[in-house]
Amino acid sequence: MNLQQDNCINSLSNNKVENHFGVEIQELPFINKINVRIDINDNQNIIKCGKLINAILPIQPNTYVKNDNVKAIWLGPNEWLITNNQNLYSNLKSEIGNIQASVTDVSENRTVIRISGEQIFKLLSKFLVLDLEKNLPDESSCAQTLFVKVPILLVRNNNEKQIPEIDIFTNRSHANYIYNLIVDGSQYLDF
Amino acid sequence: MFLINCPYCGEREQVEFSCGGEAHIERPKNPSDLTDDQWADYLFMRKNIKGVQFERWNHINGCRRWFNVARNTATDEILKVYNIGESAPSISGNNPTTPSGEPVIGSGNLSSSFEKK
Ligand SMILES: [Zn+2]
Repeated sequence: MNLQQDNCINSLSNNKVENHFGVEIQELPFINKINVRIDINDNQNIIKCGKLINAILPIQPNTYVKNDNVKAIWLGPNEWLITNNQNLYSNLKSEIGNIQASVTDVSENRTVIRISGEQIFKLLSKFLVLDLEKNLPDESSCAQTLFVKVPILLVRNNNEKQIPEIDIFTNRSHANYIYNLIVDGSQYLDF
Repeated sequence: MFLINCPYCGEREQVEFSCGGEAHIERPKNPSDLTDDQWADYLFMRKNIKGVQFERWNHINGCRRWFNVARNTATDEILKVYNIGESAPSISGNNPTTPSGEPVIGSGNLSSSFEKK
């Protein structure tokens, strides 16, 4: 089954952006995602991977690096998620997918819901156990946590001068659940 | 609910973690040499200490890494977080006394006189 064209959230098809009380919600179009696991001491593979994606894999927990085409997101001390709109998978797989390192295509595992607006930190705090001010301090921060009951990955896109914008990586089957809660939570934000 | 200091992600809520039970239980080197009792002891018997207990935890909804924790089971106070593979730190802590004088080991069952060998 090819999920690439499918949209998880019915009312957000065709890259539509909805605005609910100043909170903009969008389901991003399909993007390639690669899970890479390399031992942190395996310099050879770390460098090889960095060259192929044209970015340095972040070592600092809960941060990501990006260039025009690629985001390399820290998932664990030996694990990264690489999102890209090119076709990097086959290159990575053949160059570093050996016995020391693993490269897995997880493109269709998750979808990305992008929310933006002045109040989104407040909005998310209704559903998260995470202290967002502490855990998403700047435009290179990401965090894995729970959204009520479901696991998510948060990626902050804005710096402190821009309007807050956060990408929520979620399992495709949980997308509607999160969308409904965000729409619901966007009301009564002036508490 | 309490906070756990993940060695990688920092302080997070306990709901993000999953407890993997007692730490430092070594798998017997020659399982076929054991008697059934010894094997059952390895598989099922846990200390269930009231006081400082060494446990394995996994940051299951975060970085998904395993680590060890020294936790006071009576107060949920976390005394130390340390890596898998490290030996247990020498923390004794103060075991809280209770009016009914429950035993430190097997405190869930007062009638039991079981002590782990
Ligand atoms: Zn963690």
